[in-house]
This record gives sequence, structure tokens and C-alpha cells, in this order.
Amino acid sequence: MSVAALARPTMRARISGPLASTLDFLRLLARKPLGLIGLIGVVFFVVLAFIVPFFVPYQDFVDVTAIYQPPSLAHPLGTDSSGRDVWNQIIHGGRDILTVGLIAGFFSTLIAVTFGSIAAVVGGKVDALISGAADFWLTIPHIPIIVLLGSILKFNSIFVIAGFLALLAWAGLLRQVRAQVLSLKERDYVEAARSLDLGLFHIIFKEILPNMRSYIVIHFILAMTSAIYGVAGLTILGLIPLSGQNWGLMLNFAYVRGALYFKDSLWYILSPVLAIVLFQLSLVWLVSALEDIFNPRLRSSG
Amino acid sequence: MTATTPADARLVTEVYRDSQYARGRRALVWMWDRPIARALTRALITVFLVTTLNFVLIRLMPGNAIDNYIAQIMNEQLLSYEDAAQQASGLFNLDLKKPIHEQYLTFLGDLVRGNLGHSMLSQGTTVASIIAAYLPWTLFTVGLGLLLSFSVGTFLGLIAAYRRNSPFDHIVSTFGSILSAIPNYITALVLVVILGTQLRLLPIAQMRGSSSPGIAPGFNLEYIADILFHAALPVAVYFLATVGHWLLSMKSATLATLEEDYVTAARARGLSDGRISTAYVGRNAVLPLVSQLAITAGLVVGGAFFIEVILVYPGIGLRLFKSIEQRDYTVMQGIVLLLTISVIVANIVADVLYARLDPRIGRAGGANG
Amino acid sequence: MPSKGESAPKPRLEADQVLSVRGLSIAYSTRRGPVQAVRDVSFDLRKGETLAIIGESGSGKTTLAVSLIRLSPRTARITKGHILFRKDDDTIDVASLPDSDLREFRWSECAMVFQAALNSFNPVISIWEQFLDTARAHGMTDAKEVRARSGELLGLVNLDPERVLRAYPHELSGGMKQRVLIALSLLLKPSIIILDEPTTALDILTQRAIIDLLRKLREQLGFSMIFISHDLSLAAELADRVLTMYAGTVVERASVKDLFYRPRHPYSMGLLRAVPRVSGALGSVVSIAGSPPDLIHLPEGCTYNPRCPFVIDECKLKEPELVAVDTPQHDARCIRWKHVAELLGKEEAVVAEKMAAAT
Repeated sequence: MSVAALARPTMRARISGPLASTLDFLRLLARKPLGLIGLIGVVFFVVLAFIVPFFVPYQDFVDVTAIYQPPSLAHPLGTDSSGRDVWNQIIHGGRDILTVGLIAGFFSTLIAVTFGSIAAVVGGKVDALISGAADFWLTIPHIPIIVLLGSILKFNSIFVIAGFLALLAWAGLLRQVRAQVLSLKERDYVEAARSLDLGLFHIIFKEILPNMRSYIVIHFILAMTSAIYGVAGLTILGLIPLSGQNWGLMLNFAYVRGALYFKDSLWYILSPVLAIVLFQLSLVWLVSALEDIFNPRLRSSG
Repeated sequence: MTATTPADARLVTEVYRDSQYARGRRALVWMWDRPIARALTRALITVFLVTTLNFVLIRLMPGNAIDNYIAQIMNEQLLSYEDAAQQASGLFNLDLKKPIHEQYLTFLGDLVRGNLGHSMLSQGTTVASIIAAYLPWTLFTVGLGLLLSFSVGTFLGLIAAYRRNSPFDHIVSTFGSILSAIPNYITALVLVVILGTQLRLLPIAQMRGSSSPGIAPGFNLEYIADILFHAALPVAVYFLATVGHWLLSMKSATLATLEEDYVTAARARGLSDGRISTAYVGRNAVLPLVSQLAITAGLVVGGAFFIEVILVYPGIGLRLFKSIEQRDYTVMQGIVLLLTISVIVANIVADVLYARLDPRIGRAGGANG
Repeated sequence: MPSKGESAPKPRLEADQVLSVRGLSIAYSTRRGPVQAVRDVSFDLRKGETLAIIGESGSGKTTLAVSLIRLSPRTARITKGHILFRKDDDTIDVASLPDSDLREFRWSECAMVFQAALNSFNPVISIWEQFLDTARAHGMTDAKEVRARSGELLGLVNLDPERVLRAYPHELSGGMKQRVLIALSLLLKPSIIILDEPTTALDILTQRAIIDLLRKLREQLGFSMIFISHDLSLAAELADRVLTMYAGTVVERASVKDLFYRPRHPYSMGLLRAVPRVSGALGSVVSIAGSPPDLIHLPEGCTYNPRCPFVIDECKLKEPELVAVDTPQHDARCIRWKHVAELLGKEEAVVAEKMAAAT
């Protein structure tokens, strides 16, 4: 009977592995209402920012007779100081912000995972050096340093900006990756790989990282939230020379042109505010649900 | 020399024990065992690294501020390179004729004496005096905001954990997670737009600045009330932006602590619920948060940059923003350096506080802590 | 202490009885359904007597122990029965005690030394503060008096009061903490001390010292003990009587000699056979086949039948009653006890040896 019990899941997993695990994941997520809302929110904004613009052409015709209009059928979110449609700007204003978040999140996770694993696996002086660098970075105020770096080195494309914002989140993640790898390292299969002398890269990429997938996903999202925090904030203050359309820039206009103090501008200001807040909130709720699901010790809480 | 017999070995050990090297080493080991000494050493290293980074950025990067400045005044005032370099030297506190490593050492020496150079724009004003005028306001608002959010957040978190899954817990935790997800500058914008512009509950324009014109600084009620009036918005923003984090962290720390054996044991001993929830649950649950306080302080001081600009509050963040707009590099680097130092000081304070609260740390024999 | 909601006449304990548990049942509510952790357990404890409760983990012995001072987790509920304590000349039922009286009752009447004594102290306050906290919670507010009493007790457990009271928990070794906890348990002169696996986390020499200490203290102070253990040799040394628990209920109740030499329930026999013996190589250690039952879906009939070597069809029909075997002071919940008796006989010899001889 025990043989049958062992064989059954393996068979099922072999037939429909990824599909079944996705379904299992969604089933677990469905038990966390906030997590499900988060996932829906993230999907909504990704579709809004990357797919909807293909179907809704960008409009920038100025209509001075319809400045700061409240929401209506023609303008679901009203109009701005030049009579342009706010909803249209929201649709076209997500791409840069999300792209920066994705790239920065990717690099931040890459730095943290690579160096965190190396520190833990190699140990000794390399470990001391890498952990020291992470501790150093954690104790200094990031935003002013990035601003200082940016003012001297000049940001000129969203990739460079994303590269800088990747600096926001790597250190904390690195320390956690290091701790995680240190505990994974003690496990038998890593010991076995080491006794077979399979090499550092094999140990990290084949044995340790696959066991940290959930961990990496969670931190990728967290790194994304801090990068978006940074890019939106710096754009609002006009410290990033971004052009075109984005949510931060909409607020920058409001800030520079004094629309903050103009009563009719409420919808123009609240729209990008809500877009940024709801997207961040979706990410955070998704992450906390993922933590609950992936970390069985905490699964019962919340 | 290698020991070959036990007697030789003893001799070598004795000679070694009294050597200056060994005494120095023992002193180092002794210091390394004090957490405070360790924190200070780490702080010094951090300051040193940030300073070096600063020096490299200002002096060595291609297209750096000094080269730019020299080129600029050569053009504007038709000076020779030497004369321009002379002027730049005075401004940046560097003797550009000396070799780089000597410049670097002088730069460090000046910093130790608190000499951060002069502002590039308002000639004659020292960077140190600028910082002295702006930094206190940032520390005051950030400190007050964090203090409030820490006390309120941990208190609510403790109650939420005790009443787990009650309506109170659900409401407070959901609000906490919403608040912690909102970027602080958005909170500032929304406060200005909703409370100031839309509802006209707050006189936003009057609340700008650190105090109202015409009120003389002094230790009297009028001045203190005025300062608090001006600080209210930034403090509210720091409070709202961090309270959710404390609340959620405290809730999960409390839930973990409630599972601890010593809490069950305390209940078995018949202690009152009040005593258990404070001295047994609360005190243990809050410990990890105290060490987080330092890192959060760093994030908030960094984030003050956004808040002070949006609320026009004359702290160090607003001054940094101005210096960036004006490309006043000496002020910029001085401020970043000082921000770093204040965050490090906050770290040390948190370490000391932590060692006082947790007997496992900072006492002799606390090697396992 | 009037117990409310009881129409039956208030039960009273005899003068030399300190505790009587009658028909106690405890259930946990879980997502999968109610867990019958303790089912219809009854036993008595006399003054100065030591009762050992033995069983595998999951047998309900710890749930039973913590429920005696109603310290069970919130999800657990006493569904039936009484926990009667003799307090002064009165009898109180802990199962229906109001919360404020319950707090009073804990530690002053019945103290508990925990399984995880190593973590039983708050790590951030000194041992002295924890003594003082305990005293204050029960109205002993004079710090000098508390200091004197704690010093005396710590002396009794062979510790230096000056040093220990000033220390924080992390500065004490595991054995020291266990002694401190024993001293603390005596602070309010309780009539009963419950010890839940008090030596499990300690090394063998420290275990020995703690057992000797408990025996000495019991003689000097005359309290009763309930000793919970899966270590039968320790139970044998301390106990006067033994309860064997299986699947949340008592399967055998006997004097220590009867249980160790003449067990009549196959499960007790299996436990005894599973004890490794330091002296004498006779008989091999045999563990009990199978695993403890699922407490949500208990087996039909006798709960031990799936693992029992004496099982017959009748065992699967209904759960047997606890019946007197050999003597009136010896009960077992088994319809096949005579077959066990036949196999083991009546001599005072260790079970493993008898088994080795029988096969």
C-alpha cells in the first residue's frame, strides 16, 4: 500500500506537473483573499501597462475648453490642465514605471542571489567581504546617495535608472539569501554534491537555487516595490529626466505647476496616485500571501 | 623560533604573553567582545567608506565636479588653469597641486576636524554651518514621527495578536498593510491635496517652513507650539508611512512569542494577564523590532528627502534638493556624508538600547548572543 | 467554592485525597474535526503519593497534565468530567472554576515543572524577578520574605541563591534551570507538583541528580507528584502507582510493582519490552509495531487492536471496560488479560526476561 501511495503522486506529477502545481498554487492562494486580490491587481496593471496601449491609441490633443473636467463618459477620469484625457494618460503611463520596476527587481535579485550564494558557499574571507559590503549598504541612507550618484553620473535611459534603483534592495535580500543558503548547505544532497566534487556553479545553480525558487520570487517582487518607490519619487521631484508619459511625471506636472493647490485638479492628481498605490498594494498583498503559502512554519498565521 | 621541548614551549609562551604584540592583541580581543566597541568600529569603517566614495565621485570620476568647476571659471573669468585650480582648491578644501593620495589624506584630516569646505554658490558660507542649520529639523521630525509610530504600532500590534482573528485584528491589520504599501511621498501629496486643497482643513501655505516668521526661538510655550504646528505634516507623514510596518511586525512577533514555553509557564504560575502581556510577551516580542528601528531610521531619513521637498519643510532633505538643483556639489557631498553619519549614530543608539533590553547581549559571557 | 450548573450533590474528597479526576474527556477542535485527546480518564492521588503516567507521544498524557490546571490551548475543551482538588477542608472542581479563582489556584495548590524547562524562564528578566513575580501574583508582597523563602528553596536544590537569583536564564545550564524551576515550583507550598517529562532534555548524569533530588524533596516536604514520562526506568524509580495511557484513555492502572512485573494490558507489556536494559543482556529490545492511532478516526473496538499481538475478533467489536485484574488495586482495559497473565506469570522478574524465556 505504501508503494502505491508513493507512486501515485509521482505519476500524476509526471503527466501534468506544471499545470497541476499551478492549480495547486491557485487553490492555496484562493484561501488568502488579500493574496488573490493582489494577484488580480498585478495582472490587471501588467495588462493595462503593456497590452492595452496597443488597442487604445495615445491621444494628446489639447482642448482648452475642457480643462480639469470631472469624470464623464467621454473622460472616465476627467481631464488635465490642457484638457487631455486622464484615463488615456494612465493607460500609457504605466509602461515605463513597470519596466523600471521589473528590470531593477531583476538586477537586484541577481546581485543578491549570486553574491549571497557565493558568500555562503565559499565562506571565509569572501564571505566576510560580501557580508561586510551588504552591512555597509544597509546602514546608509539610499535615496540621497542615489540622488548624488545620479546628479554626477547623469541618468539618461530607463535602463540606467533601473540599474541604479537595483541598488535599493539588494543588500537586505543578500543577507537573507546567504542565511538561507547556509542552512540549505547543511542538507544531505548538497553534502553529497560536494563530496562528488561537482564544483561551485553546479552546487549553487543545480542544487541550491532550485530549492529557493519561492524565496527568489518573493524577493524579486519586494525589490520591484522599492524600485518603483524610487523611480516614482524621483520622477515626481523632476530628478529623473524621463519624458513621454508616466504616472510619476503626471504628478511632477501637478507639483511643478502648482496643481496640488488647485481644487479642480483632484481627479488629475488622484488618478496616478491611485495607480501607484494600488499597484504597490497588489504587489505587497501578493507577497504576503506567497510568504504564507511558501513558508509552512508561518502558514497557520494570518 | 620553534619550540622543541616542553620547557622551550613554556619559554616561548611566556615571552609571547608579555610581548607588546600580545598585549595589543588582547586589548583588541577585549574590545571585540564589547558590542559597543564592535558597533563603533563598524561605524568608523562605514564613515570612512562613504567619505572615500564621496572623494572619488567629486574628484576622480571623469567629468567630476572639480574638473567641471575649473573649466567653468576658466571660461567665465578667463583665468589660467593654475589660477582656476587655485580657486577650486580653496572651495573644495583640496590642494590640487599635490598628488592624489595626499589630497585624499588632507581631505580626510579636514573632515575629522569638521571642515567640510564652502558652498560653491554662496561663497563664504561653510557647508558645516548650512548643515547645522537644517539637520536638526530633519532629526526632530523624523525622530518624533518614528517615536509615535513605534509606540502606537507596537501597541496596536500587540492587541491585534492577542485578539487574533477578531474584527479588531482584521481591520487594524488590513489598514496596516495598506499604509505600509503606500509610498511616503504619496501620503504627503494626498494629505496636502485632501486636507489642504479640497477640504481646506489645514492652512498648508502657513504650515511651510520650520517656524512662523516673527516668533523668536526660545524655550517658551508659544515657540514650541509654533514649531509643532509646522512639524505636524512631516511628522504625520512619517507616522503614517511607518506605523503599518511596526503594527504588522509586532503582531507576528507577538504571535510567535505567545507560543513560547515561558509564556505558558508564566500562566501556570498564576501571573496576572497584565503582567504576562507586558513583561513576558510584550518585552520579548518588541526586542527584534528595536534592532529594526535603526534600519528604518535610515530609510526614513533617506525618504525625508521626498517629504521635505513636497511639504516645503526646511530640513536637510529640502536643502539637498536645492543643492542638487543648483549643482552645489560641496553642499551635496557634505549633506550626504552627514546623513550617513546620523543614520550610523541612530544604529549605535539602537544597539545600545538593544543591549540594555536583552540581557543575553552585552553582558560578560554572552558569547552565544 | 460552589460549583455552578451541577444538579448532582457536590462531590467531596476524603481527608487523605488531594486530587480525584473523574470521567475527564478533552477534545481539540481542528480543521479535520474534533480530536479526542483525552477520553473518560479517572484516577485518584493521595497525599504524599507519586503517580506516573506513561505512554507514547500522542497518547494524551501531556494534554491530561496541562488540563489539570486548565492550561490547555484555546482550541481544547473539557467536554465531560470533574477535576476535584482538596483545598484546605473543601473540595473544588477545577473543570468549572471561574477564571479569577483559577489564577489563584495555579501554582499555589498545584505547580508544574515543564517538559521544556530549558525555555520555562523569561529570557529577559532575572531569576529573582521571576520568583518575585510568582510570589506577588499570589499576594506575597513582602520582598524580604520572598527573598528568604527563595534562598531557602534554592539551597534545598543545592544551588547558590546569591548567584542564581542575580542571574539571567541564559547564564544557567540546563540542569541548573531545571533545579531552579523545581525550587520555584515549591515557592507557594503546593500540595501537588506535576512534572511533565522533567528530565528529557538533560544528560544522563543530570537526570540522575534531578531524580534523587525529587525523591529527597518529597520526603522532606510531603507533596504529591504526578510524573509524566515515556522513560519507564525513571518512572519506576519515583512512582508509587502507574497509569498507562493509550489513544487518550487509561488502559492500565496499577501499583508500580504490579505494572513492571505483572502487566496485564498488552500495550503496557509492549512498552516494558521496548525499554533497553543497561544491565543484563537477556532479551532483546523490541519496539511496538505500527504507530499510535489517528485520534480523529479511532479504530473500532479496542483502540489497540491493530497493533496487538493478542488480538481476536471480539476485540474489534467494542471498546473494553477497565476491569479489575489480579487484585482490586490493579485494573486493565483488556478482555485478553488472562492470556497476558498466562504468558508472564506472577514472579517478580523483568518483563523482557520473561518474554525471552517464553519464546
